[in-house]
Amino acid sequence: MRNTATHTEKVPFFRKPAVQSIVASVICIFGGLLVGFLVLLFMAIFSKDIPFSEAFKGILIVLSGPGAAGNPKDILFTCGNMLFTATPLIMTGLSVSLAFKTGLFNIGAPGQYLMGAMGSLLVALSIPQGSMPAWLIWTLAFLTGTLLGVVWGAIPGFFKAKFNVNEVIVCILTNWIAANVVSWVFYANQEAFVNFAETKTNFIRKTISNGVSTATFGLDKLFAGSYLDVSILIACLIAVLLYVMLNKTTFGYELKACGYNRNAAKYAGMNEKRNIMLSMAIAGGLAACGAALWCLNGQQDFKWNTYQALPNVGFNGIPAALLASNNPIGVIFSALFLRYIDTGGSYLPGETAFNEYVSQLIIAVIIYFAGFSKFIKDFLTKRSAKKTPLPPKAPERLDPEPEPAADTVQPAEVPAGGKEGEAK
Amino acid sequence: MENTVTRPANAPAPAETAPYVIEMRNITKEFPGIIANDNITLQLRRGEIHALLGENGAGKSTLMSVLFGLYQPEKGEIYKDGKKVVINNPNDANALGIGMVHQHFKLVDVFSVLDNIILGIEPNTLGFLRKKEARKRVMELSESYGLNVDPDALVEDITVGMQQRTEILKMLYRNNEILIFDEPTAVLTPQEITELMHIMKGLAAEGKSILFISHKLNEIMEVADRCTVLRKGKYVGTVNVADVTKEQLSAMMVGRNVKFAVDKDPAKPGEVMLDIEHLTVKSRLHKKNAVNDVSLQVRAGEIVCIAGIDGNGQSEFVAALTGLEKAEPGSKIVLDGADVTKKTIRYKNTHGMSHIPEDRHKHGLVLDYSLEENIVLQRYFEPDFQKAGFIRFDKVREYADGLIEKFDVRSGQGAVTPARSMSGGNQQKTIIARELDRPHKLLVAVQPTRGLDVGAIEFIHEQIVATRDAGSAVLLISLELDEVMNLSDRILVMYEGEIVGEFDPKTTTVEELGLYMAGAKRQTKQEGGSEHA
Repeated sequence: MRNTATHTEKVPFFRKPAVQSIVASVICIFGGLLVGFLVLLFMAIFSKDIPFSEAFKGILIVLSGPGAAGNPKDILFTCGNMLFTATPLIMTGLSVSLAFKTGLFNIGAPGQYLMGAMGSLLVALSIPQGSMPAWLIWTLAFLTGTLLGVVWGAIPGFFKAKFNVNEVIVCILTNWIAANVVSWVFYANQEAFVNFAETKTNFIRKTISNGVSTATFGLDKLFAGSYLDVSILIACLIAVLLYVMLNKTTFGYELKACGYNRNAAKYAGMNEKRNIMLSMAIAGGLAACGAALWCLNGQQDFKWNTYQALPNVGFNGIPAALLASNNPIGVIFSALFLRYIDTGGSYLPGETAFNEYVSQLIIAVIIYFAGFSKFIKDFLTKRSAKKTPLPPKAPERLDPEPEPAADTVQPAEVPAGGKEGEAK
Repeated sequence: MENTVTRPANAPAPAETAPYVIEMRNITKEFPGIIANDNITLQLRRGEIHALLGENGAGKSTLMSVLFGLYQPEKGEIYKDGKKVVINNPNDANALGIGMVHQHFKLVDVFSVLDNIILGIEPNTLGFLRKKEARKRVMELSESYGLNVDPDALVEDITVGMQQRTEILKMLYRNNEILIFDEPTAVLTPQEITELMHIMKGLAAEGKSILFISHKLNEIMEVADRCTVLRKGKYVGTVNVADVTKEQLSAMMVGRNVKFAVDKDPAKPGEVMLDIEHLTVKSRLHKKNAVNDVSLQVRAGEIVCIAGIDGNGQSEFVAALTGLEKAEPGSKIVLDGADVTKKTIRYKNTHGMSHIPEDRHKHGLVLDYSLEENIVLQRYFEPDFQKAGFIRFDKVREYADGLIEKFDVRSGQGAVTPARSMSGGNQQKTIIARELDRPHKLLVAVQPTRGLDVGAIEFIHEQIVATRDAGSAVLLISLELDEVMNLSDRILVMYEGEIVGEFDPKTTTVEELGLYMAGAKRQTKQEGGSEHA
């Protein structure tokens, strides 16, 4: 059993967990696209006004993502914005996936996101320009926003750990508390924060009006005209760090142990209550960090009367996490993919008779299919078992060593059975 | 019925010439990475008790699942009364008269015995139950087969033995004539086992054919007419039980000769390692205390066993001792001279307490972790295995490989095998390896050999004796009386949360223990005085 390497090599390609996860996700994606296409097709068939070819045109537009923009310059610009809008989605996706890894369902990402937005905007707009370097204001705003999210995430974690209150319920409550707190804080301080200058009274001032914006390192030039800044790189870096934390550190080992089997974690002497609180707090911080990165871009309009609706990007972290099987690195790609489909969909109303919600439908179906990913993985295992002939001896069961002894015993025994005339 | 019951066990089966009621011919069933059944033939005669013997993972359960329609075999055929049949699901099996008592009963706890028996085939008129009719039939069956049940009692209130009789009645009510018993004695007291043997013989005498899955040789010798032995998925042979000895059967099963008695020198008790005083634990189920004022001591170099029927407070006792549950105020646990009553599990783990938990899936392992990750479950934070918060996976691998070799843990992919995909015996070996290799002064072993075969049991018993001889105190909690008698140096019997007697395994008998376990007898504190010594 020591020669692990040779054993590992024996695992057929389609039985490797990583391969199975990726194949499952790809199948989910194709399933979603197929259903989206069928919907377009049916709309075309049953509507007199829409020609049949529109359905093909529609699905191609969705598939081409930013490519639907047309000329190379517009494509580049759209790409830049796609990357920028993917940033908060990566962060909320990471937030949800970390909680999942610990066995918790963080549906509180929208609330944590709002608190993060509020924290970073308050700091970014309150410290007068020039009183300290802009990068310092940016850093303070970023940290404040993230910290508020940490606190907001820790609340459901605390109730879960201390009183075993279902985190989903507390998360939903904290979501709406956050929505109202944010509205109330900005309502009470309208003069200072609402964007009267541009007569956008539903929105908070852009942070650039106070000289605060995220560094771009020329990314905005590369993707000319877009909002793109280094926040996408920060998000990717955080994803990598999270991956390392989960897979290489004792802390990650504990978090996952709690998630996989809370009883065993307790048995092993881990403080599972502390881990639940920490996991939720970090998840809250991640979601809020996404909000801070978005707000501090400088050019973004934050709609402050949030009591009416929770931000979608918070909820969309759930599909991003599911599609990535909760792998932090995978979340980067799933978030980018979701934004890619979104971006393509946004061109539908202009180019075809369909509206942009088709892309939402496709995403919804993909998530629905993601629920079958276990099924797909099992199917792959079965298929590969059929194709690859099995090793002649069962590796898991008893050893070959006693066999000689067995042979010496058996002859004496088998005749006893044999004389019954069993062997036909 | 009478003549069967009184038939001496070694007389030839009356069914010697009876026709085969079920024939499974050349059954092959493969799973990814393993051939669970390799060309196995099983022939069951009408009216016989046919034992199916094999170690864990030998393919007994797979074969029965094929017969019960849960799996489809890749090769092979099944014949019922000489006619070829295809069994696609348990409903097909039921229609053919095949019934099964599972190891873990499939009963609805909050339903009455009667409701459970008729569940699924309730006699009704337009959806309204005709319970009177059902009751009459159940009572008739119960009387004619001597299956004593109270039809109106809720399942959650009755004994395990009565639950099992309910399961048997379920099969009879469905007119099943082929009865499969999957390790039926695992949960019973000695007295209940005797009763079950009696019932099985009675059923066979009435013409029912019984398949009896077991790896307890004594029971097979007592009750079965013939026995089919499987090993590692292969057919070893079918024997007339009367023609073979227990030793021969076990050699067929394991492929080598197995020692039944544990080789051990007399204990040399040393210092008191564990001193429990007035341990009381509240019950979650009822108002009485689950553990009531238990005081006991375990010394270094001795194995003290707490015997008892399942559900008499052993689990709660261990949970409180190890820290998984809180003990009531007034309880005191002293480990090697230090009061650990209020200490955390981590503290106990790192200060000399090893714990082989009762439920290896619930507590013992993180099934989604690999073997090596499970090996360091309590040690990942030690300097040997981490540096600046990062786990040193190379060291973990090295350590795990060492234990895998030392304790002979077998798995598909070595140290990186997911724990979930390992066989039960090897999962248990993983836990044993982990707990015994950790520095420890006290080993709390709860049913360490539960559900394991004789080969693995022999190994685990050796390991426990070895750790005793190395100077560790061992507190063994077991439901298996064979294990209790074989392994322990001192026996305490727990009944309804209290220690009701203390015994020396050399001078007591299984029957005597059984009386105490069932609450029929009880030592006064003076008689069992040495428990406080």
